[in-house]
Amino acid sequence: MIDNGAMQRFRRTVHAAAWAAVLGNALLVVVWATTGGGTFWPKWVILSSALLVGAGWWIEAVDRSPRARALFRGRGLALHAGLSALLGLFMIGVWLCSGLGYFWPAWVIFALGLAVVVHAALLRSVRDGELQERVEELTVSRAGAVDAAEAQLRRIERDLHDGAQARLVALGMNLGLAEQQLGKDPERAAEHLADARAAASEALKELRDLARGIHPPILADRGLGPAIGALASHAAVPVSVDVELAGRPPAAVETAAYFVAAEALANALKHADAARIDVDVHERGDDLVVRVLDDGRGGASEENGGLHGLRQRVEALDGSLRIASPAGGPTVIEAVLPCAR
Amino acid sequence: MRAVIAEDLALLRDGLTRLLRDNGIEVVDAVDNGDALVHAVLRDEPDIAIVDIRLPPTFRDEGLRAAIELRERRPQTAVLIVSQYVEQAYARELLADGRGGVGYLLKDRVMDVDAFVDAVRRVAEGGTALDPEVVANFVGRGHDRLERLTPREREVLALMAEGRSNASIADALVLTVGAVEKHVASILQKLQLPPSEDTHRRVLAVLAYLEETG
Repeated sequence: MIDNGAMQRFRRTVHAAAWAAVLGNALLVVVWATTGGGTFWPKWVILSSALLVGAGWWIEAVDRSPRARALFRGRGLALHAGLSALLGLFMIGVWLCSGLGYFWPAWVIFALGLAVVVHAALLRSVRDGELQERVEELTVSRAGAVDAAEAQLRRIERDLHDGAQARLVALGMNLGLAEQQLGKDPERAAEHLADARAAASEALKELRDLARGIHPPILADRGLGPAIGALASHAAVPVSVDVELAGRPPAAVETAAYFVAAEALANALKHADAARIDVDVHERGDDLVVRVLDDGRGGASEENGGLHGLRQRVEALDGSLRIASPAGGPTVIEAVLPCAR
Repeated sequence: MRAVIAEDLALLRDGLTRLLRDNGIEVVDAVDNGDALVHAVLRDEPDIAIVDIRLPPTFRDEGLRAAIELRERRPQTAVLIVSQYVEQAYARELLADGRGGVGYLLKDRVMDVDAFVDAVRRVAEGGTALDPEVVANFVGRGHDRLERLTPREREVLALMAEGRSNASIADALVLTVGAVEKHVASILQKLQLPPSEDTHRRVLAVLAYLEETG
């Protein structure tokens, strides 16, 4: 890669060379004319300087245009192809200037073309290797994502079964008993009704907690800052929250970032015996970075299912999760989530 | 008393309408979105608007936004937010203008019909009704600084923060009003809060105290 300063100097040199070529060649034409014409010999100088200036211009054009770069992937092949084309044109120029005849430039052009084709083929095989690696990476992260989703569904099913469903059975039973007692023993009926109401109340609470665990409403309503702020306000330890985002990231990234913060926070509160926790969310280039730091005793590991689930969630979005938690602390959990919009 | 309801689920809208009518509150309009709510309140000028947070079209916090808009455009109408979930941040937004006649309750609370109707009346008359769960969040946060209160005083404080009157606190804790008054005076003195007859101002003072960091 050519850095910007060098590229600018190069551009200036190309422009200067182009002007020098134009002026120099004009001078030669004048000399040729004043010395009585004859064979137009300046053509050789014009042809050579056109080759040099053309090469400089092509290098500059490839560097400037992202489309050209994308077309040839990187600059190497683009430069090679362009310079070969120029050389081919130069040969045709030489052939034209030397009075036509047998079209010998065909052989040169053939050789140059062959070299470009070989170059492209080599590049392609390298790219195939990279693609193969990427496919393997995606296969692993996709399997992880499927596992994580499966585990979450199982947990939700179990929570529903043991929680809200059981409460609703109790509620129905109490209503049935109340109905049965209504005529005979209104006081007993009232007791059953009170129990029924308590069961409904518990079921609602459990459903609310479950819904919050799937996707907290405040996250959809207000975004990461207020949602993480709400998490922090429930914590028994002081939590400082610093969320600096220009806008709302894509929904999947936002949700993953929230659960990184939530899980890391829950971990710190449960196991780390921390005195303070910092949650920091900011953008770094096209990435969203979530960092949770606690001053607790360290020793957090992925044996803990929660953190393993987090890694799967983050990798499913092509992100990366880093857990640094030496014995004695501090613990840093950092997720980097790509979110090119 | 006249009320407008904004709730998008017909089942709950009809149930709430019936519950209020059975308890002597006239429901002049029941709508299913935020714009219709603002329109209905400005036209019918009810005493209270009972509003679900999550309404169409985006099913986010339209209800809350409409309620806050109404607090500005028609201050005479009290607003009671009911929701499947409570967030401290939303409570803070509702209370931000410092005026009474505001409430924020979990929908679950309709199951205790008497307490719910009591909250509706209290809010319509300019008082406050905060859900115990909102208050628990606030109280949990200021826990360290509440250590100088007795357990009973902490119970009284939580009910004060919900916006209850001394009489209603006495009722809930099975105490005499005189005993509650003594607890309240002791709490205000220990926390160095100004005494106030106005229950809404009392709520704001308690919450502000609990919110202070440090």
